[in-house]
Amino acid sequence: MPRTKLFRWRAIVPLLLAFALLALGWWLLLDRLVEQGIEETGAYLVGARVDLESADVRLGEGTVVLRGLQVANPNAPMSNLFEAEEVVADLQWTPLLQRKVAVDTLAVRGMRFGTARDQSGELENPSPQSGAVAREVSAWADAVRLPPLSLEGLGQVVDAAAVDPDSLRTLAAVRTITARADEVRAAWDSALAALDPQPRIDSAQALAQRLEDADLGGLNVIGATRLAGEVRTALSDLGTLEEDVTALGRNAQAGLTDLQTRLSGLAAARQADYAYARGLLKLPSLDAPDISPAIFGDAAIAWVQPVLYWLRLAEEHLPPGIDPRRYPGPKRPRRAGTTVEFPDSASGPRFLMEYGELGVEFAGEGMVAGEYLARVTGLTSDPTLYGKPLELSLSRSGAAVGPSNVGLRALLDHVSAPVIDSLDASLAGVQLPSLDLAALGARLVLGEGTTRLRLARSGDQLGARWSWHAPRARWERLRGTASGEWAEELLWRTVSGLRDVRIEVGLAGAVREPALSVQSNVGQAIAASLRRELGREVERVEREMRAQVDALVSDQVGRARRGVADLQRKYLDEIDGAREALDAVRRQLERELPGGIRIP
Amino acid sequence: MLTLLKLLQSFVRALHSDGTPQQVAAGFALGAALGLTPLMSLHNLLVIAAIFLLRVSLPGAVLGWLIMLPLGFLLDPVFDAAGNALLIEVGQLHPVWTAVYNTPVLSLSNVNNTVVLGSVVGWLVLAFPIFLVARAGVRRYRATLGPRIERSRAVRAVRATKLYNLYRLFQP
Repeated sequence: MPRTKLFRWRAIVPLLLAFALLALGWWLLLDRLVEQGIEETGAYLVGARVDLESADVRLGEGTVVLRGLQVANPNAPMSNLFEAEEVVADLQWTPLLQRKVAVDTLAVRGMRFGTARDQSGELENPSPQSGAVAREVSAWADAVRLPPLSLEGLGQVVDAAAVDPDSLRTLAAVRTITARADEVRAAWDSALAALDPQPRIDSAQALAQRLEDADLGGLNVIGATRLAGEVRTALSDLGTLEEDVTALGRNAQAGLTDLQTRLSGLAAARQADYAYARGLLKLPSLDAPDISPAIFGDAAIAWVQPVLYWLRLAEEHLPPGIDPRRYPGPKRPRRAGTTVEFPDSASGPRFLMEYGELGVEFAGEGMVAGEYLARVTGLTSDPTLYGKPLELSLSRSGAAVGPSNVGLRALLDHVSAPVIDSLDASLAGVQLPSLDLAALGARLVLGEGTTRLRLARSGDQLGARWSWHAPRARWERLRGTASGEWAEELLWRTVSGLRDVRIEVGLAGAVREPALSVQSNVGQAIAASLRRELGREVERVEREMRAQVDALVSDQVGRARRGVADLQRKYLDEIDGAREALDAVRRQLERELPGGIRIP
Repeated sequence: MLTLLKLLQSFVRALHSDGTPQQVAAGFALGAALGLTPLMSLHNLLVIAAIFLLRVSLPGAVLGWLIMLPLGFLLDPVFDAAGNALLIEVGQLHPVWTAVYNTPVLSLSNVNNTVVLGSVVGWLVLAFPIFLVARAGVRRYRATLGPRIERSRAVRAVRATKLYNLYRLFQP
């Protein structure tokens, strides 16, 4: 039997030709593959569509040129987070053999923010992981509770029906006191019935009377001894009875003290009821910190949301350490699975951009309109492997419009845990935005001013201050607001005279759920004005409200007080009476005893 | 429809070809890799090269690919779980994956994906049993059904057509 040959040598040439064709096809499709890769990766990172007009991979020059890059805003799909006309990256080719991207230099031209889109940037079938950061930041924004500024309660007749008696703490406390008094009364009745001191007192008094009436000199030894024994027994019994009565008195006093303490707590409960009823009237809080969030809270959230978004995005995609990292696998007809990356301290990062220059342009006449040059160094997916923090700076490069003074420096140190981020950005001489303040029924045109954002993050903790100062602000009235006309007039009179406006937005606490604070001289001015102009009205309304609460609770509070007083009068007096009677009869017994009779 | 025809054609060609049952079975086992694992992977270039360079049955390989393709889709959850266990849960293997992930060219193999790794390992485990079953199947077919089908009127009728003669011209 002839031995079968193992190799099919004639297949080598066709196979090589096939591989060459494959390589040719790959080369021809390379631009499209890069384009698709950027669009898919970007969509995963951002959670919205990323569109690229074209990608041009120049293998010979070692460059990749991307044109028409648009990154949709996941929170506003009809606008872009940013777009760039052209991105030119100088790549190192060797890392590509390890599926790594090392960009020596990156130049971005015509970068614009917040531009409109022709098509929605919403993803059709987003994976659960894509856009998770945007969703979390949105959820935080939705969860921030802003106190309302409502003047509707003023000038209205107090609605007595709105005060629900079941919600009044005073009535609940009265019910507790009454129940407790009933318990105490029942316990005392039972204890007094068990003790029943009167028959024993009467018996002792009878003995004392017998002593008084008896001729002690005529008693023989036996008679005297018997009488002494009776007296001794009676005194002993009186002593025991007196101890029991005293103990009962102590218990009664303790019970009364408890009831009286509860009674004295009714005052605090009534104050709480006043506050509850006041809350029903939607009276404005006159503390400035409360008013400022009501006025500027929505704007403040809109301002800080992008900051938190980029901060969280950096945290998510530039993590410290070299632990394996998991990502969804590539899209394909088969299951995508999970792709696990294994960073190695002896190897380079998966993505590294040593140096990048971004020509940033803010169009229009908005707050930051103008042209800027941003410089980024050390942007990498594996900061621990790179070993240096990311630095970002921005300076103004020209144009007629825009801020006269710009400074931005950011440092993201994710080399090791805890991550430390800092940002200091200031813009002076910029056209600050106009704010529609529904709470005031007015639009605030901030005009030219200054804004400064300072942020520091260490590990999980974040602290940020964003201040705005507009020295020549203007106010315009908004029509169709829900507030009553007189209230609107009042607010308008208050704010329309304000020219110098300062707003300070603060973030503090955990990065994922920081507490938002807003302070402004507008809030302070409104509070002062409200105090001055509405003081009397507020007092009247509050008086009515208090009267309403009093009407609901006074009778029952009175009954509770009287009940406790009755308890005190009845039982303490009874116990005191018993104690006095005991004392008297004991003294009488001791007095009537003749000197010759010894009581052992 | 075209896939079904292709499958039928591969089936007939594999079973009636001049290759030995071992060659057909080896081709089948190699072709199974293309069906069981995600096609667009670096290791499949090696498999294709092996199919062409080794004297295994090409129709057998195509048959293995087409038969195992739906099975690969069905087994994806199993492959995913197996890959997950190997890549993530077995910490002792992390140094191996770290070395693979950071080695030029090897890192392009996608074995750091749970489905790819699970399916490759699955194929490696199943390759020899597949070979044995396929070899036994071909032998049995050739001893029983094959001659009868060769002599059947339908096959003879097809072979008498000009179209079949034309097809023979392009047969390797």
